[in-house]
Amino acid sequence: MTFLRSLASLRLTLVGMLMLAVGAGLTYDNRLDLPVWVLVVPLAVLSVNLSAAILTNERINRQFGLLTFHVGLLGIVVLTAIGRLAYFDAHTELAEGQEFTPDVLLEIKKGPFHSGRLDQVHFVQGPYTVEYAAGMQRGLTHSQVAIAAPEGGLMTKIVGDDRPLVLEGYRFYTTFNKGFSVILTWKPLSGPPITGRVNLPSYPLYDYKQDNTWTPQDGPPIKFWLQLETGLREDAAWTLDARNSRGVLVVTQKDQRVELNPGDTAEIEGGSLRYERLSSWMGYKVYYDPTLRWLFFVAILAVVGLAMHYWRVMGSRLWPSVLQESRDDDKSQERGSN
Amino acid sequence: MNELAAELPWLWAGLAAYALATFTSIGGVAIQGPGGTLIHAQRSERIVLALLIAGVLLLGVAIAQRWIRIGHGPWISLFELLMSQLWSLGLVYTISYWKLPRFRPSAVVVLPVLWVLGTWLLTLEPKASHFPATYYNEWKWIHVALGKIYLALLLIGVGLSGVMILRRAERVRSWFSAMPSDDVIDRLAWRMMMLALVFDSLMLIAGAVWAQDAWGRYWQWDALETSAFGTWLALGVGIHLRLTYRIPAWLSGVMIISIFALAFATYFGMPYVSPAAHKGMV
Ligand code: HEM
Repeated sequence: MTFLRSLASLRLTLVGMLMLAVGAGLTYDNRLDLPVWVLVVPLAVLSVNLSAAILTNERINRQFGLLTFHVGLLGIVVLTAIGRLAYFDAHTELAEGQEFTPDVLLEIKKGPFHSGRLDQVHFVQGPYTVEYAAGMQRGLTHSQVAIAAPEGGLMTKIVGDDRPLVLEGYRFYTTFNKGFSVILTWKPLSGPPITGRVNLPSYPLYDYKQDNTWTPQDGPPIKFWLQLETGLREDAAWTLDARNSRGVLVVTQKDQRVELNPGDTAEIEGGSLRYERLSSWMGYKVYYDPTLRWLFFVAILAVVGLAMHYWRVMGSRLWPSVLQESRDDDKSQERGSN
Repeated sequence: MNELAAELPWLWAGLAAYALATFTSIGGVAIQGPGGTLIHAQRSERIVLALLIAGVLLLGVAIAQRWIRIGHGPWISLFELLMSQLWSLGLVYTISYWKLPRFRPSAVVVLPVLWVLGTWLLTLEPKASHFPATYYNEWKWIHVALGKIYLALLLIGVGLSGVMILRRAERVRSWFSAMPSDDVIDRLAWRMMMLALVFDSLMLIAGAVWAQDAWGRYWQWDALETSAFGTWLALGVGIHLRLTYRIPAWLSGVMIISIFALAFATYFGMPYVSPAAHKGMV
């Protein structure tokens, strides 16, 4: 018991808080080289300290509001820890008409105990628009995706940077990373034609280098770049929309340079290339954390507890002395009470 | 020809009202009648209250004018943040000035702090700011409103702290003779800190929900978030220091002013100092 009481020391609380402040300062900007212990150790110290205080200190466990607040703090620490063990974070790029499957995910980071039903996540990317204000300032993105409707069939949802698509707890957010793609068909001199899609670099970020190479199966590498007309304006508002954009495909092979409009075919070495149409792709951030909702509730509960404590103390001990007109009574008010 | 932005005349008028309130409040406590009785104090307090109300109303009109002119609220540029803080800090302080008459002399500490903001604002260009995609989220209202109340409560604490500290100087002690004892002031100041902790916590929760929507993560330890967490923790440390040790009134005041300084730096410094801060914010 005495051991528990010393663990509950309020001096230890202060030490823990200072350690946490240092840990938070070091974590600034999420430096990846930093061990997670700089936060975990102070939080563990504070959690043990607080649990001991809740068990042994009547000043905290007899005051309902204060107790709720501190238990809530403990709850937040526990939930954050669970969140770190179970989270999932990744990026993906989806072309128009493409269906999401887990194998298109890039830069995957996840906690050791992550176990979501990612294989149950299905949607198909549709077209999108991105609004730009004057000065090339990116505004709202409206990305259409088709998901299974509860009553069967498909339904369209609009996703944005600030409006995630949430499926099986996985949250998909659009990002600044998006651009054009071209649909090409390669017809070799012998054998069946192959249709493929090639994504071009992010637009308008890499406006100046919309080029790529496509190597169809068994075919030669085909180098091309895209001459785009998107309505891009530096000085006025405009909307990026692949459906209102035009792209002329410029194919270069050896000394040959051919310009293709959608539907055109060029005879090049080894076969013919048909430029089917212009399309687009959208980059998504994918995020999963099963504790989000719980964190919110527990945090709110904690603050409600603190507010209750505040009103009780304010009402019973302090307010009368604050409002009192006579100054003589000040000192007789419960000295030293907080 | 440079056209005068519609909000500027109202802004200047509002700042002028705050300036007059500052001088009147100082005059009210510093100029005393024979025998040290507070002849001017009560009358000057009514004038200060009226000027503060006028200042808040005028700044409110300035904000509305700008809102109409550029099509969005004062959320983005430093000019806008300062203007809207001058309004909200003024509003909350005016209410406390009105409701807590015994603590009115603390205006001589609080109003000069508003002047730091006012002077800074006068050095900035009122040019229109861009409204980023992330600001269409409605949580911004809750986050910003809570933050305003939080900072204003800290400011009231600063006023009380200033009194506890200034009282130690012989020359100005009489300015605050009408105020309650340090003991009462100290307790009120820390109650303000606890209430500030309530609003700070709520602000962080609303901010986390917004960040989850806006950037796909609720917390990332960017400059602003790290600094905001530090301030929240400093409130906890301050409250717990008082639970653990007996803190003299002046030190208690220094602690509160330091917490305010941290909050101030978080609010007005971090988003602009660090380029990594709150991506998409500026
Ligand atoms: C983690 C270890 C912690 C322990 C062991 C602890 C313990 C306590 C105890 C025993 C009290 C009761 C004081 C009394 O009424 O006499 C208290 C009050 C309080 N604590 Fe904590 N606490 C901890 C963390 C925190 C944190 C992180 C915060 C906020 C940032 C916080 C904020 C408060 C507040 C606002 C009060 C009320 C003070 C008052 O009534 O004046 N505590 N704490």
